[in-house]
Amino acid sequence: MATNKRTGAGKSGGRDSSILAKIANHEIANKGRRAACDAVYVSKKLLRSTGKAAWIVGTSFLILVVPLLIQAERDQMLGEIELQQASILGPPPPGALQ
Amino acid sequence: MADLLPPLGTAQIDGKTKVDEKVDYSNLPCPVPYEELHREAIMSLKADNFEGLRFDFSKGLNQKFSLSHSVMMGPTEVPSQSPDTTIKIPTAHYEFGANYFDPKLMLIGRLMTDGRLNARVKADLTDRLVLKANGQLSNEPHMSHAMFNFDYMGSDYRAQLQLGNSALIGATYIQSVTPRLSLGGEVFWAGVPRKSGIGYAARYDTDKMVATAQVASTGTIAMNYVQKISEKVSLATDFAYNYLSRDVVASVGYDYILRQSRVRGKIDSNGVASALLEERLSMGLNFLLSAELDHKKKDYKFGFGLTVG
Repeated sequence: MATNKRTGAGKSGGRDSSILAKIANHEIANKGRRAACDAVYVSKKLLRSTGKAAWIVGTSFLILVVPLLIQAERDQMLGEIELQQASILGPPPPGALQ
Repeated sequence: MADLLPPLGTAQIDGKTKVDEKVDYSNLPCPVPYEELHREAIMSLKADNFEGLRFDFSKGLNQKFSLSHSVMMGPTEVPSQSPDTTIKIPTAHYEFGANYFDPKLMLIGRLMTDGRLNARVKADLTDRLVLKANGQLSNEPHMSHAMFNFDYMGSDYRAQLQLGNSALIGATYIQSVTPRLSLGGEVFWAGVPRKSGIGYAARYDTDKMVATAQVASTGTIAMNYVQKISEKVSLATDFAYNYLSRDVVASVGYDYILRQSRVRGKIDSNGVASALLEERLSMGLNFLLSAELDHKKKDYKFGFGLTVG
């Protein structure tokens, strides 16, 4: 009986302590879960705003800078071709059309 | 009430020599016309971006006379009630034009398929007096108007008188103060909305840069600055503030003039980025591409065109 009581008491005491442990665990788990939710929320917002900014910067770059680079490169190639032609053909005669 | 600027003592420095030379205040260069005060900034920053197709064909019949045909197809914006949505209506029209160019007389007429007739005349009455007239006739009632300008060019000043058909009178005056600085003012009186206004403008230009500022009693304050970085490149910036309606816009733009093409781009503080590319495909054939992105209103406009002749 005594042993039963003791074991019974030990068991209930053990159950009490495990229940307490469970409660403690629960609070920390809750906090952890909240922190994880916040982190996910903030990172989603950050990703979205970075995406928006990247879109705006990317399309504006496409409109403003890309045609300029293409035209500048064509102008440079035209200059090189003219230089080559000038070196091959030599100086133009005095009455030539430039 | 028209307190125009009195003619100040004028000064001139010969551009080439250094400041050692005494400034000759009686021989100033003639200033730029008042309405073209900010023409360098307009070339870079107010390029005509269009939406849709644009085709212009001009043919010279004579040394002085030429005809032009142009087709424009694309959506045009209609002002809507709410500021968020823009209503676009697709339109297409053809415009026939005739031009006569003479050293002393210039006549331009345009007729559109929607019934509008537009005419411009510029005649040199004497060496110093120029008459410009501009008229528009239209099918819709109360949309026809005409305007006459008399420009007098003095040795270092310009004066202009403007008369419009619905009781509009305006006068502008601009004077060179130093070889680089010119100051001017304007006055106007409109009969139909009984309003009058006065404005002042200043322009300072050197070889490499042009800065202008304008203030008007209609509420606008505009300043712009253009810097010519090389023969091919110039950058411009512009700031406009309306103190009555509290609108403010600042923009920065570039203008690259290359041998075969010309690229102009601009970005705005309203979140608008726009660009215009004109390329010379062959003699007399120009290809145009225009793009405008309005990031705030999410309105994107693209156009392409061809100009022949």
